[in-house]
Amino acid sequence: MTLNQRTYIYIFILLFSVRGITPVLAQDTTDSIDTTVKKDTVIPKIIKKDNSGRHLSFGVDIYHPIINNLINNQNGHEFSVDYYLKNDLYAVGDFGYGGSNVDYNDLKYTTNNNFLRVGLNRSILLRNDSTDWDNMFIGFRLGGASIKRSQALYVVTDTLWGNSIGSQPGKNFNAFWVELNLGVRVQLVKGLSAGWIVSGKFMLNSKSFQDLAPLYIAGFGKGDKNSSFDFDFFITYSISWKRKIKHDISTTEPKK
Amino acid sequence: MTKHLVLYLLIIVILVSCTQERQACLTPKIASFKIECVHEPTDTSTIPIDTALPNAVFGCFTSNGLVSTIYSLQSVFTLSLSSVSDTCKWLFTTDSLKHSFDTLVFYYQRQLQFLSNACGYAYFYSMDSMHTTHNNIDSAFIITKSVTNDVKPTHIHIYIHPSF
Repeated sequence: MTLNQRTYIYIFILLFSVRGITPVLAQDTTDSIDTTVKKDTVIPKIIKKDNSGRHLSFGVDIYHPIINNLINNQNGHEFSVDYYLKNDLYAVGDFGYGGSNVDYNDLKYTTNNNFLRVGLNRSILLRNDSTDWDNMFIGFRLGGASIKRSQALYVVTDTLWGNSIGSQPGKNFNAFWVELNLGVRVQLVKGLSAGWIVSGKFMLNSKSFQDLAPLYIAGFGKGDKNSSFDFDFFITYSISWKRKIKHDISTTEPKK
Repeated sequence: MTKHLVLYLLIIVILVSCTQERQACLTPKIASFKIECVHEPTDTSTIPIDTALPNAVFGCFTSNGLVSTIYSLQSVFTLSLSSVSDTCKWLFTTDSLKHSFDTLVFYYQRQLQFLSNACGYAYFYSMDSMHTTHNNIDSAFIITKSVTNDVKPTHIHIYIHPSF
């Protein structure tokens, strides 16, 4: 490291150290002047009230249908609903359907599946006001899919001893996974928003279908991988309304 | 404008690259069956060492007739087991100039194994027993019973007659 670089780093640390120390020094000065404040005075904690109204959004994913037109052996359609709870938390539900059609020389089968994901999103940016619904969020989901696989025909290729042909019977099974999400949603016009989500998905029960893992599970991704990385681009329509104000009026009359 | 055009072209290239018909199979599809010729240098030694054979020949009878391979100065030979039967027979000699062959017969159970959608299915095997003639071979032992697409383990040790 050169002397110049070291000097810059020290200057950087120094600037931020001074910035950090300054309020403490200021507080010390104030304390020394204001001697009227008693030490056992309890300062009430200020609780910021969430004045946001109700907010319900319906979304449709437009990324997977476009990709499905390019990849002709898989399809997936996703829809979502989210509802603002409070304190920057949203309850989220995603659902959809899709499948895959494997038609290789040595392997042929089809799968269809429905899926449901439920979880929470938490906004990580401060809102301008209670009507500001643009956000960047992190979230998690628990996902499940019900998968139906047709009979699979296979050929084990062996150039020395000869090929062998066989079939695996059709099967219904379930897949479960967890997801971690990061996303952005921005309002384009009143009520209509667009955004994206990137997801890391981790299969919980991949061993239960190791005899023939589906090529593609709509809602998850590649079925023969334990983890999957996915991207959604979605359009949402939102409706908002005000919360009802609760009045704490006692209706019970005092006993005579 | 040019920057945007390049960006759009890049996005199209990325999307089109997703249209690959099938992912490449990156794992071996044939179970690797490894035979090692060994000897013990002294009567009291317990650790066998490799016996390099001058021109070993391994051959098998398949539906296409006899298929044979000559290996020069090798002690480890990678063969395969039949995926269409629960037994298979290999012929073996230590030197291609010799006319005395040995027969090795392997008995095993086949296990259908799904590798991936990219690779499809393969057969793995579980060795039960083996029989040999003793023209060149002194004795032979099964070392590893499970025969998979893992190329590391040695499955059979063959001890050659000291006089070969």
